[in-house]
Amino acid sequence: MNIQFSWKHGLIALAVAAAIGCNGGDSTATTPTVENKGTEATPAAAGRKAPTAEGNKVEGDVIKVGIVGSLTGDQKPWGEDSVEGAKMAVEELNAAGGINGKKVELITGDSTSKAEGAKTAAEKLISDGVIGIIGEVASGHTIQIAKSAFDKGVPVVAIGATKTDLTQEGTHVSRVCYIDDFQGPVMAKFAYEELGLRKVALMTDNKQPYSQYLSKTFGDKFKALGGTIVKEAFYESGQTQFSGQITELKAETPDGLFLSGYFTEVGPIAQQVRQAGLKDVKLMGGDGWDSPQLLTSGGDAILGSFFCNHYNNKEDRPAVKTFLDAYKKGHAGKEPGTTMAALGYDATKLMLEALKKAKSLDSKSLIEAINETENFAGVSGTITLKGFNGNPPKRALVVEVRPQSEGFQVFRKAYEADEIK
Amino acid sequence: MKFWGVRLASILGAVAFCFLLEGVAQGQSSFVQRLFVLAGLYVTLAVSLNLINGITGQFSIGHAAFYQVGAYTAGFCASRFFAQLNLPPAAWLLLMMITSAITAGLAGLLVGLPSLRLKGDYLAIVTLGFGEIIRIFAQNQEALGGAYGLTVAPKIQYVWAAWLLAILCIAVCRNLLRTAHGLPFLAVREDEIASSAMGVNVTQTKVVAFVLGSMFAGAAGAILAHFESFVSPPMFTMDVSFTIVTMVVLGGTGSITGSVLAAILLFYLPEKMRDFTNIPLSGVAAAFVAISAAVFAIRWVMQNFHGSAKDRAIRYLGIVVGALVIWFISKALLGNVPSLKENIDGSKLRMVVFSITLVVLMLLRPQGMLGHHEFSWDWVRSKFGKPTVKEATA
Amino acid sequence: MTVLPDLLAGLEFSTLPQQLVNGILLGAIYALIALGYTMVYGVLKLINFAHGEVFMLGAYTALFTSWSFGFTQAGSRQDSSPGILIAMLIVSMTVCGFVGVLIERFAYRPMRSQPRIASLITAIGISLLLQYGGQLFLPSSPPPSISDKVNPFKGNIEIPLKPADSALLAQAEQLKAKVTSTKAAYDEQLKSEKDSFNLSPVGKGLRTASQDAERDYRNAIDKANKDALVITLPQGQVIMLVTTVVLMIILTWLVMKTTAGRAMRAASLDFDAASLMGINVNTVIAFTFFIGSALAGAGAMMNASFLGGTKIDTFFGMLPGVKAFVAAVLGGIGNIPGAVLGGILMGLAETMVIWAGYGNYKDAIAFIVLIVVLLVKPGGLLGSNKVEKV
Repeated sequence: MNIQFSWKHGLIALAVAAAIGCNGGDSTATTPTVENKGTEATPAAAGRKAPTAEGNKVEGDVIKVGIVGSLTGDQKPWGEDSVEGAKMAVEELNAAGGINGKKVELITGDSTSKAEGAKTAAEKLISDGVIGIIGEVASGHTIQIAKSAFDKGVPVVAIGATKTDLTQEGTHVSRVCYIDDFQGPVMAKFAYEELGLRKVALMTDNKQPYSQYLSKTFGDKFKALGGTIVKEAFYESGQTQFSGQITELKAETPDGLFLSGYFTEVGPIAQQVRQAGLKDVKLMGGDGWDSPQLLTSGGDAILGSFFCNHYNNKEDRPAVKTFLDAYKKGHAGKEPGTTMAALGYDATKLMLEALKKAKSLDSKSLIEAINETENFAGVSGTITLKGFNGNPPKRALVVEVRPQSEGFQVFRKAYEADEIK
Repeated sequence: MKFWGVRLASILGAVAFCFLLEGVAQGQSSFVQRLFVLAGLYVTLAVSLNLINGITGQFSIGHAAFYQVGAYTAGFCASRFFAQLNLPPAAWLLLMMITSAITAGLAGLLVGLPSLRLKGDYLAIVTLGFGEIIRIFAQNQEALGGAYGLTVAPKIQYVWAAWLLAILCIAVCRNLLRTAHGLPFLAVREDEIASSAMGVNVTQTKVVAFVLGSMFAGAAGAILAHFESFVSPPMFTMDVSFTIVTMVVLGGTGSITGSVLAAILLFYLPEKMRDFTNIPLSGVAAAFVAISAAVFAIRWVMQNFHGSAKDRAIRYLGIVVGALVIWFISKALLGNVPSLKENIDGSKLRMVVFSITLVVLMLLRPQGMLGHHEFSWDWVRSKFGKPTVKEATA
Repeated sequence: MTVLPDLLAGLEFSTLPQQLVNGILLGAIYALIALGYTMVYGVLKLINFAHGEVFMLGAYTALFTSWSFGFTQAGSRQDSSPGILIAMLIVSMTVCGFVGVLIERFAYRPMRSQPRIASLITAIGISLLLQYGGQLFLPSSPPPSISDKVNPFKGNIEIPLKPADSALLAQAEQLKAKVTSTKAAYDEQLKSEKDSFNLSPVGKGLRTASQDAERDYRNAIDKANKDALVITLPQGQVIMLVTTVVLMIILTWLVMKTTAGRAMRAASLDFDAASLMGINVNTVIAFTFFIGSALAGAGAMMNASFLGGTKIDTFFGMLPGVKAFVAAVLGGIGNIPGAVLGGILMGLAETMVIWAGYGNYKDAIAFIVLIVVLLVKPGGLLGSNKVEKV
């Protein structure tokens, strides 16, 4: 290697870069239709491609099922809960005798709260011979799992991944939760029609894709209904002081504030919003709020706020009661830390139920069986996947945050899937 | 003639090695293939950072920035131009590697320029800051996919490409050090003022190191983007930069072989932890106690014992046995603590093992695994007293 | 030159004073953590990457102390007193101080004769070990937070700069009657409804009327308040600022006026010469770590209890740690007043970026400011700009 050489090369490189730069400008100008697919939310229509690979088969007496969750890193609270829920579902099934006399083994993979970690974990699970993967909680991670699983023909049941176009990865992907295109508008409708809000400000966790997208869908619907989004302020998870953002929001005098992030930041924001003098502003959010911990982190400030959830722990449905009783029994009387325990349980149970109905014990039949699911009675509501391209039409519940003595989240209004749009 | 013969043979050997690896990987699961590729990429990153940190002595802790620039360049170009150009995947990947290397090189130039004025920790924080700026910028660009990231259209999963790049990177660095052109780099590391007095163009040397180093990181980014068929901001956080720096230092600052070995070790070790399940927590705590005791005992021997190598080895062996005994006893004792009665999965211990490895290796061998030494066939020959094949230089 | 007026047009000058105050309050915490970085650097020339994790442990200590006082997550205890806060502060500072000394003793002292980069890697290793090892033993799922009942200072100190338009305010008050009457009508109707979110058409109409009246009233109030200028200082944050200033004064006294401080300064000037003059450098370094870590503990305790509901997990120290590190470098690392200045500047830069409407770039801007400053003054704002001689 010659230094003089490298300098010349550098100059050539510059020239080439300039040329490419010009070229790039030209081609985008002439062909404006070429858009990158990653950012565009494709309509949740049909046309999902089916994986061609054979997938894994059950060998021996044990049925291996995998779950990917964030067991370490900053998303541990959600990941760990989802794994706990999944373990419960598997234990229940094994206690009841398994499938065709075969026991189910749940193998966990740690996504380390990172997208590429999720991919590594998924590929490890697939190479370990799992016939299906459950997970993940975050959409960004689930996409990676879905891509790996597609190549190998292994089904994926997502737990809490609400990103709309996720299930377009292929017929092998389905989920047990509602989608962002539903959750955001539900809250917008609730805010506009029930709470009578007209000027709402958004507060977005810019590090979380979930939050970015939820803010967007909420804002779009709210504007379509006739309201105004007066301001969007940004923060990053881990931040503890929000006075800068709140001052800016206060200047716009909103009557409502939509906090699309997770409860870990929502609590402090609520306290600081109230302290900054925004006493009457209604606070609202999405399913990221669901944790009893919200009452400690939000204190008195969070009471009387509303958020959208998958299920309510005070519901009378048998599925909810059995789930909560079983969970408390296995966890020293504690309730699940986040809503992801219930969804993890649902996702696992849905896959295992489908496995019972599958023609044979392999990935390919399992994919078919999952997509044939009808009226599965989950903790988070009835799930039907047949004819819905992996996105089950689900109810969303708007709940109000109340003190622990009143049961933390009190059901206020339910929205059916067809009420939006 | 002999010179060119060796050259040709090394190149052929390198290419053969890459395709051999590809062949081995093909028979394995996609998980193993992934490890192969990522290991190759980490080798490239570590060796290219070694050029900046170890060889030129510029303290950069923001190497992930260039990796990211490369990955996003490839991702962005792939989503815009791949469909139109209709190139075969290998040619496209090569084109992307070159393009990404150029953009990352430009970014390196941008960061390299302040390095003319800044030194040591100040330069470090600027490189770190640059990495964060790039990441936050990508996170806020709709065109780059925001916090979700960008889907990269053609999935190109060649194990050989990653390793060919790694070998190219190793070869460039090695040849740089072996020739007169590399001496300025070393001179700048040792003493800037003295080398400038001796007629070394310090400015040029530093900038070239930065540009070269970041070009390789950029090319690695292009491979990553196409391998994962996805890029997102969290893939390039500060931890990635720290991991790469760690690989360089752990291998021995300035040693290319060291960087390669450390990259493979530090990448492999945490992944291996995924295989272990149901480890008793008391055992983990006991291991921590035993390792701490052993480390300090070994350090004591290293500093205070001056006998023959054989006696020394016996003492080390004794310490290891002692550590095992301590582990055994403390495991039994700690087993009674209620909070340590649980079992955990190895995957939860990945980063713990990683960090303990770092601290232990640094305490026992602060100069890095290989110090300033390099692997060479001469060294092998001197050890075994046998003539060896000259071809496989790489 | 139409760019400048356009840029200025987008700015809301009425919030500027409040944002400046916010920036200083935020910067005080950064300064407190930055002091730990800068003191250690001054003596050892080591970037103590584990400092953020000491901060994290301080927050956990404060949490456990608050639990031991009965402020458990269930919220059993409601009353608090300044005494409890002071106790939490002292416990956090002491525990952090000792943690800092322990880290120094077992991870950094053995590395002292080695190249600096080796100790840096050890520091990174310790930092990762505390982050991920902590996840095994400390409560982090769901991340706990200190009860809001711990902080009895919930009020605000308000400094009115410009009063609201009293004529408009009086007008607005006239609308209040309608609010009360429509609300009363709706409440009356609610008695016959079974659920306030599934109303009969009559109930819905009354609710809409009530909501409309309230909105009109609030809009009128907002209009009257539009030109009013009030700076709101949350009591908790003022206490944080005051405590920070007091701690800094104590620190200055300690470093400038005491024997230990003189030894510290001597060691930072010339390590070897100091030890030749009979200074026990090991003690001095341990002392430095103790003080720096105790300051981080104070910052952590205040951050976790005065801001309200801040989540505590093992990554709690990462973000403030990096920002404080940047602050220390900005002010000139190794320089104590520089760390304070850098911290305040960082806080101001962050809020100013939010104020200017680029809040999504706020963390990047902090680094851009840093790079610009370093390009102009390579040793930081107050750092020494030594010319290297052969």
